[in-house]
Amino acid sequence: MNDLLLTPRGWIEAWGQIVRFAARMIAEVASLRVMRFFGEALRQAGILIVSSTLVIWGLVFIIGLECGIEGAYFTYGEGTPAYSGVFAAWCDLRELVPLVFGYMMAAKVGTGIVAEIGSMRISDEIDALEVMGISAMRFLCATRLLAALIVLPFVYLCSIAAGFFASYLAVVQQIGYVSSGGFFLIFWQFQNPPDVLYSLIKAMAMAIVIVIVGCYYGYTASGGPVGVGTATAKSMVLNLVSVHLIGMLGTQLFWGANPRAPIGG
Amino acid sequence: MDQRPAAPQGQSPVPPGAPGGPAAHAGHMSGEHATPPAGGNPTTSRVSVISESAPRPGPPQDASAEEYRWHSYAMRPAGQPDAVRFIDIHKSFGRTHVLRGLNMALPEGMVSMILGPSGTGKSVCIKHMVGLLYPDSGDILVHGRSVPDMPDSELFEMRKRFGLLFQDGALFGSMNLYDNVAFPLRQHTEKGEDEIEEIVMRRLTEVGLADARWKMPNELSGGMRKRAGFARALVLEPDILLFDEPDSGLDPVRTALLGELILRIHREMMEEAKRKRREHLPTFCVVTHDIMSARRVADYINVLWKGRIVEAGPADEMLSSDNPFIRQFLSGESHGPLTMD
Repeated sequence: MNDLLLTPRGWIEAWGQIVRFAARMIAEVASLRVMRFFGEALRQAGILIVSSTLVIWGLVFIIGLECGIEGAYFTYGEGTPAYSGVFAAWCDLRELVPLVFGYMMAAKVGTGIVAEIGSMRISDEIDALEVMGISAMRFLCATRLLAALIVLPFVYLCSIAAGFFASYLAVVQQIGYVSSGGFFLIFWQFQNPPDVLYSLIKAMAMAIVIVIVGCYYGYTASGGPVGVGTATAKSMVLNLVSVHLIGMLGTQLFWGANPRAPIGG
Repeated sequence: MDQRPAAPQGQSPVPPGAPGGPAAHAGHMSGEHATPPAGGNPTTSRVSVISESAPRPGPPQDASAEEYRWHSYAMRPAGQPDAVRFIDIHKSFGRTHVLRGLNMALPEGMVSMILGPSGTGKSVCIKHMVGLLYPDSGDILVHGRSVPDMPDSELFEMRKRFGLLFQDGALFGSMNLYDNVAFPLRQHTEKGEDEIEEIVMRRLTEVGLADARWKMPNELSGGMRKRAGFARALVLEPDILLFDEPDSGLDPVRTALLGELILRIHREMMEEAKRKRREHLPTFCVVTHDIMSARRVADYINVLWKGRIVEAGPADEMLSSDNPFIRQFLSGESHGPLTMD
């Protein structure tokens, strides 16, 4: 019986450690102590922009195309091709753009953070920072969280634009069952500025969790290169589960009780 | 993520009679300048008409007396106050007991060595000195201040007085050599870039890496990375400089050159400290199992085995020790108390 309890006890312990680690990271940023290393935060922001934005926008563009094509043929099949804009508005803004953004953040940014900080851990670089009298938590983790908070809202808003543009291309230019004006009439009816804000909140919640999880697994990596690889895999699993949970909770919270759309009946 | 032990403040965890403890202190620690143990009273030492030696400490709980028969626990005085002192330190990782009642001192103004077979906890000792690890029990004093009892802010300040050369240099992979060495100056001083450049180039020239300053760490050989780490450890002019196996992975000639470099830098820092009348003389501590390095570099030698000091003392006395274990280890012989077990 005791052996059966060991596994869930281990999960609870690990969960508690992650929560404590996250609280320390957030406190470093919220208390502005991280501003001592603002230069490092800007450097991390630059790395995020240069290395991740094009990949994220590219993937979101592809998802926008898929949403547009599926939506156009589905509404055409139901005899309502003018309503293909609904798919662009809902599928892109509310669900798939946040999810795809989360996937790419987990795959590109999250694993990158684990690999980089984990390598620093096993090569004693983190200990070297600490011995120099520099808080490694602040210098390595809090700066990355601050960089994400500075850069990712803009990256995400541009991602939404990329998804919308791709859907427009697919629905209006490629398939062409609806005119440009007809597409935009429905497209704008089925969304409003608070929806963009809610979508941004979902995506930023995902991004923050991914950065924290990445920093945690990197910071606590041990066992040489194999240990870093294991930590990277664990972070990816946890991040993907977190992305879906946040996506589901966000949809329930923001649109579950009220679709915020002109649906009659 | 280590938890600090809940040691009672101001109270020495050293049992009376143990090396470094109140009774043993007068005879075994580093001479008349030795710092008294925390909570101990240096003015109340007993005067006895009978020659009385401190009782020999018993073996650790799960070890036999036979395993510790070569531990004489003798700590011959160095005539200097202790820069760092370990008092009855116990440290375990899971079921592995690494330090098992360690009492050890590093005298100020000297090049000390911690020698011992592989896996005896030498590197763990270094991490305890700078607060990267905390003991399960016992105390570590740095210039008389207890490291485990320090709050984080004081700990970070204390660490600025340390320089640490890690086994592989631990250079930051994202920075070139120049930026690596300049990093502590940029973070901890208000010096301008011109002054930083002057200091960095002086240190890089000292270790023979001025021409390699724009190279990234992955473009350097193992020896170059060690020397670069040495330069970085020096830039803040620390009171205590620790070297974690500086000779590992180096050929004998480069090991000898690195040893000479350590001695030369220590000599220069001593002269500067005396000229500037610094509060503390520079203390170097080299952790190694290379006997030749010990013979060339050490002023004071601590021999560590099975988590405790076998013997400690000035290098010339240790090199002529009668203890069979010390004799075997310092001469590198295969026959003796130390076996593959």
